[in-house]
Amino acid sequence: MSKKAVVTLTVGLVLVIASCGGSDGPQIGDPWARTSASMQDTGVVYMTITGGAEADRLIGVGVDSSIAANAELHETVMSTSDDGTEMMMMEPIESLAVGPSEEVKLLPGGYHIMLVKLVNPLVDGSTFDLTLSFENAGDIVVQVQVRDG
Amino acid sequence: MNLDGKALGPRNKPPDMVQFSVKSLTRPWMSPSPARPRSSIRVVLTTLVAVTLIVTACGGEPVQGLGGMVRTPPPDVSSVVLPDVSNDGGEFTMTAEPGHVLVVYFGYTSCPDVCPTTMADLRRAMADLGDRSELVDVAFVTVDPNRDTAERFTAYVHAFFDRGHALRTEDPAALESAAKTFGASYEVRTGGDGTVEVAHSAFLYAIDSTGHIVVQWPFGTTSQDMNRDLSTLLRRDA
Repeated sequence: MSKKAVVTLTVGLVLVIASCGGSDGPQIGDPWARTSASMQDTGVVYMTITGGAEADRLIGVGVDSSIAANAELHETVMSTSDDGTEMMMMEPIESLAVGPSEEVKLLPGGYHIMLVKLVNPLVDGSTFDLTLSFENAGDIVVQVQVRDG
Repeated sequence: MNLDGKALGPRNKPPDMVQFSVKSLTRPWMSPSPARPRSSIRVVLTTLVAVTLIVTACGGEPVQGLGGMVRTPPPDVSSVVLPDVSNDGGEFTMTAEPGHVLVVYFGYTSCPDVCPTTMADLRRAMADLGDRSELVDVAFVTVDPNRDTAERFTAYVHAFFDRGHALRTEDPAALESAAKTFGASYEVRTGGDGTVEVAHSAFLYAIDSTGHIVVQWPFGTTSQDMNRDLSTLLRRDA
């Protein structure tokens, strides 16, 4: 192998590794939103967040105003009324911790992102961008797929 | 969330499981003849037969082989009548047509997570029934009639089920009474900043043609489990 080839290979490898630099931060798997009915004012987004090399924290979510007025991080919890009846309700949460390599699932009945005041119905097959703000990794923009859940 | 703490909706208790007591069964028409000695075994047997007869007569015998929650005795909800705003406000009675199963849910349309997940799972369970899905009717009762206008609510229900019934009453007492009969509960609170917080029990109730809840599915029941129970119920009614 010539010296030139070795240098080229080395540079190539460095570039490849550098371009993978993002993999140190959280990874977002299958971000999807459920289709919404014509006059439904709220929507929901689910996904799996896999922690990167270091612990991080999802501290905010954002969506373009052409999609919804705002996006909020929520958790569905059981609430027990005074007489002991179990009910389900949503609570806004400030942030969501994601440990190193930890898989945090946003799924029905648990953590989810609520879209408040949808501008238009979410139609099957369409996509939109959602910004996830992490304490350490910064903003990550993901493309959300809309589908019938 | 900062709330004013004032619960606008009722906090309902599921109806207590009805217990037949021996006392309630010793009515004159079913008492053993006083001329004959009463052995305790005979009283027990008579009681058992009487209980069986009463339960059978009410059409409310628990169905066997169901995966969901079966309450004993099955609650009778046939007295519940609510306006169907997807049918010009016509009266809707909580009884399945003969050979059909009626599935009822209490929720609200601004619920992004639990309600649509449940509706989507039920839709899948019905789709997997094939042609027999026509024998399953769905009615959704809104616990948030202030925000769920007739138009918006009907659109929501029909987005999941073409033939679905959107039940909405503006009379809080009627809604409370309906929920209580089912053993459903809900709370709607409006915070100082105008945000509305809703809590609700999240069961799907399957009702037979006698107006009894034969099985109910908690949130998280898979569409396969619902499908299996619906198949069992349709076979029974066929």
